[in-house]
Amino acid sequence: MIRLASAPAVALAVGVALAPLVFLLRVSLYESGGGRGFYAPGTVTFDHYAALVHAPVAFTVGFALVVAVLATLFGFGLALFLDSLTSRRQLLALGMLLAPKLAGALTAAFGLQRLLPHGTLAALLAEVTFVLPYAVLAIFLRLRGIPADLIPAARGLGATPWHAFRRITLPLAAPGVVLAFQLSLAWGLGAFVGPLFLAGPAQATLGTQIHAHVAELRWPVAAAEGVLLLALTAAAFAVTRTRGRE
Amino acid sequence: MTFGYDATPVLRAVNLVVPAGVFVTLLGPSGCGKTTLLKLIGGYLAADSGTVHLRGRDMTTAPPERRNVGFVFQNYALFPHLTARGNVSFPLEARGVAKSETRDRTDAMLDRVRLSPAERDRFPRELSGGQQQRVALARALVFEPAVLLLDEPLANLDRALREELRGELRRVQRETGVTTILVTHDQDEAFAVSDLLGVMLNGRIEQFGPPREVYDRPNSEAVARTLGDANVLPGELFGMKGKVMIRPESLRPGGPLSGRITGVRFHGSDVLADMTGDGFCLSWRTRTRPRPVVGDAVSLGVDPADVWEFPTS
Repeated sequence: MIRLASAPAVALAVGVALAPLVFLLRVSLYESGGGRGFYAPGTVTFDHYAALVHAPVAFTVGFALVVAVLATLFGFGLALFLDSLTSRRQLLALGMLLAPKLAGALTAAFGLQRLLPHGTLAALLAEVTFVLPYAVLAIFLRLRGIPADLIPAARGLGATPWHAFRRITLPLAAPGVVLAFQLSLAWGLGAFVGPLFLAGPAQATLGTQIHAHVAELRWPVAAAEGVLLLALTAAAFAVTRTRGRE
Repeated sequence: MTFGYDATPVLRAVNLVVPAGVFVTLLGPSGCGKTTLLKLIGGYLAADSGTVHLRGRDMTTAPPERRNVGFVFQNYALFPHLTARGNVSFPLEARGVAKSETRDRTDAMLDRVRLSPAERDRFPRELSGGQQQRVALARALVFEPAVLLLDEPLANLDRALREELRGELRRVQRETGVTTILVTHDQDEAFAVSDLLGVMLNGRIEQFGPPREVYDRPNSEAVARTLGDANVLPGELFGMKGKVMIRPESLRPGGPLSGRITGVRFHGSDVLADMTGDGFCLSWRTRTRPRPVVGDAVSLGVDPADVWEFPTS
């Protein structure tokens, strides 16, 4: 039963998430238009799904995992640094962290193009810089929730700074770390700006493939790849879910 | 020791020597520097000048984990992700004590603070305030610290529980023989547990000694008032030179101090009556029946031994 109060939320979910998803699924089952429109209406085929065996799944997943690991590690370090600052400086540092986001991914990508030689590494670093703010925020908010006197208490009870970090800070921040990893992994799986601008066809991800197929007006192929990407992301969340529970 | 923030002195030339095995209380209003002093002893703050010695060893520059000091924070600072048992075994694990010994010592200490076995595997949020306090105490004692520091440990508890745990605190201290420094603003608590009492005002320890002595023979008016109600009167009334103090409970009906009752505060077991005489005002704590009422004419006296003349500085 849907209560009246939740009706707007349900409408939003249907309009924003469910309807496009249904459309995506349907488009993935059309035959390609063959130069006459984006797809051939009225047709049904599973060919595009069969062709997914050639999709760069392994590279995409590997790429995303490396992005997620790096972003979580750097994010943890930056979050610890943020947490150690006075509140005024925290605000400043958060502003600096989020400023590139305001400029947009493309601006950042063009900037990085000048700085880094093209290749997988450059694409990786670009994606890491894109997702880092989310990772930092997820962990930082968690760290900020840790009562301030727990670490002094642990030290007074005989714990070295490292022992206190490992036994108190780390377990209490764990949900934030898992969330940071999940977010970066989801972003990494959909990576497309980094590989497109800072690497080449050899570093094709699902994201760049979808981009290419949309540009070639082969919407059904792109849609099938989109469904695969969604499935991968859902699987990634499912695998990491239990660890993220309170 | 001295300590200050920028130009604001928090502690002014404090010198505190605590004999081993003794329960010391530092009593004072909030902001008098008593918590700061505890933090300096615990190693959480560094003194501007002066030294900290524990069991004869200079610990002035040692980090908290090397001082071997048990600290019970006002809000206990229990680790929320560890059970009561996990909290208490933490200091032993940090010291690399063997697993079986850790288990035994943890259970022994939880027995000592009387935390029931069912409560030992619960997380702090599942324990009552009193139980959390017992866990915090056990955690601060399990590694046999040189000194136990207690920062207003009973302030967050309701009155009945506070009195019960006060007794428990004293019992555990006697049983373990640990040198203890308690900081509080509650004089009842200070009297109930201490062997020695220090009164702190404005960053100084104004007076230090056995509770009865400090209560009966305060060396200033401010100390007298910190420890309870006090009548401060000109000494001429009693043939003395300076100012004198008489505790309200020392006054008896019948005597040379006559006047009228101008106010009465009812406290249940006794009343605190204000009496105004010729050129002086008195507080009189009494259990006489019928109870005094405003407007009564009364004459009060006092045993000369209960009149304390402040030392002139």
